[in-house]
Amino acid sequence: MLLKDKVAIVTGGTRGIGRAIVLELAREGANVAFTYLRSQQEAESLCGEVEKLGRRALSLQIDVRDFQKAKELVEKVKEDFGRLDILVNNAGINKDKALMLMAKEDWQDVIDTNLTGTFNVSRNAIVTFLKQKSGDIINITSVSGIAGMGRQTNYAASKAGIIGFTKSLAKEVAAYNIRVNAVAPGFIETDMLSSLKDEYKDAIVKKIPLGRFGRAEDVTGVVKFLLSDAAGFITGQTIVVDGGLFIQ
Amino acid sequence: MQDLENEIRSMIAEIIERDPSEVTPDAKFFEDLGVDSMMALEIMAAMEKKYKISIPEENLAKLTTLRETVAVAKEILEKKG
Repeated sequence: MLLKDKVAIVTGGTRGIGRAIVLELAREGANVAFTYLRSQQEAESLCGEVEKLGRRALSLQIDVRDFQKAKELVEKVKEDFGRLDILVNNAGINKDKALMLMAKEDWQDVIDTNLTGTFNVSRNAIVTFLKQKSGDIINITSVSGIAGMGRQTNYAASKAGIIGFTKSLAKEVAAYNIRVNAVAPGFIETDMLSSLKDEYKDAIVKKIPLGRFGRAEDVTGVVKFLLSDAAGFITGQTIVVDGGLFIQ
Repeated sequence: MQDLENEIRSMIAEIIERDPSEVTPDAKFFEDLGVDSMMALEIMAAMEKKYKISIPEENLAKLTTLRETVAVAKEILEKKG
C-alpha cells in the first residue's frame, strides 16, 4: 500500500472527484478526514465505506470559505489522528453565467470557495508540514483555468489562481521536502457535468480526442501518482487530465 | 532558567549558523542576527522536539529575541508541569 498509516485531508469529499479521491486514499492505506458543506447523508455513508476498507474516517461539516473553521479542521485532524501528511484541496463550486449576467455574489462565492478555500486550508496545514519537514499538497484545479471557458469567468479565474498558488507555494516550501502539485481535470462524469444539457454533452464528447468523458478514476490515478515516490521529483506542476481536449 | 537559556541559545546558534556568543538575550533575531521566518519556525520546531511540548503557532511572532523565546518555552513548560 502506497499510503499506509498516512493521514490525509480532502476538502469537498462527499461527491464527484472528491469522493473518489477519499476512497482511493483509503484503499492505499491512508486514514482520511474529509469536509462537506451540505451532504450529511453522503458523508455518513462515505465514512462507512472508508471504515469497511479498514481505515479510519472523519467527516467534518465545514465551509472552507471560513478561515477559522479551516484552522479547526486541521487541529481536529491532528488531535484525532495524531498527524497530518496529505492535503487535497478539492472543494469547489461553479456558478456559470455570461459575465453580463453575473452577479457580484456569483463571482464572490466561486472565488471564495475555490481559491480562498484553498488558501485557508493550506495556510492552516503548512506550519505542520514545515515543522515535520514533509507533506504533500494536491490542488484540484480545472482545464478551465488553463484554456478558459465561456460563461466561466469566475470559475476559470479561481482555477487559474489555484495554478499560480500551486507554483508559488511549491517554490516556497520545496526546501522543506513538501511537494505541491495540481491536477486539472477536463470533462469528468460527475454532478457538475450532469447539469449540462444532453445535446451540449454530445457536442463536447465529439471534440475529446480520446472519445469519451473522463471518469473519476482517471483523476484519482493521477492524484495517487503525484503522492507516490515515482513523482518524488515533481513539484509545482499542473497535470491535465482531459482526454486530449485542450492539448497545448 | 539559566540552563534553559543556555540550551536554547546553543540550539538557536546552531540553526542560524552563528556563534552562541552572538545570541545575546536581547539581540533581535530578524534585524541583528539575520534570522528569517523559516529559521524562526525551525527554532520553534527544535524546541518542541527537545522539550516534548507543543507551541501554538500564534507564538511564532513572539520569537524575536533569545529572552522572548526562553519566556515562551518557560511558560509552556510550566503549564505542562
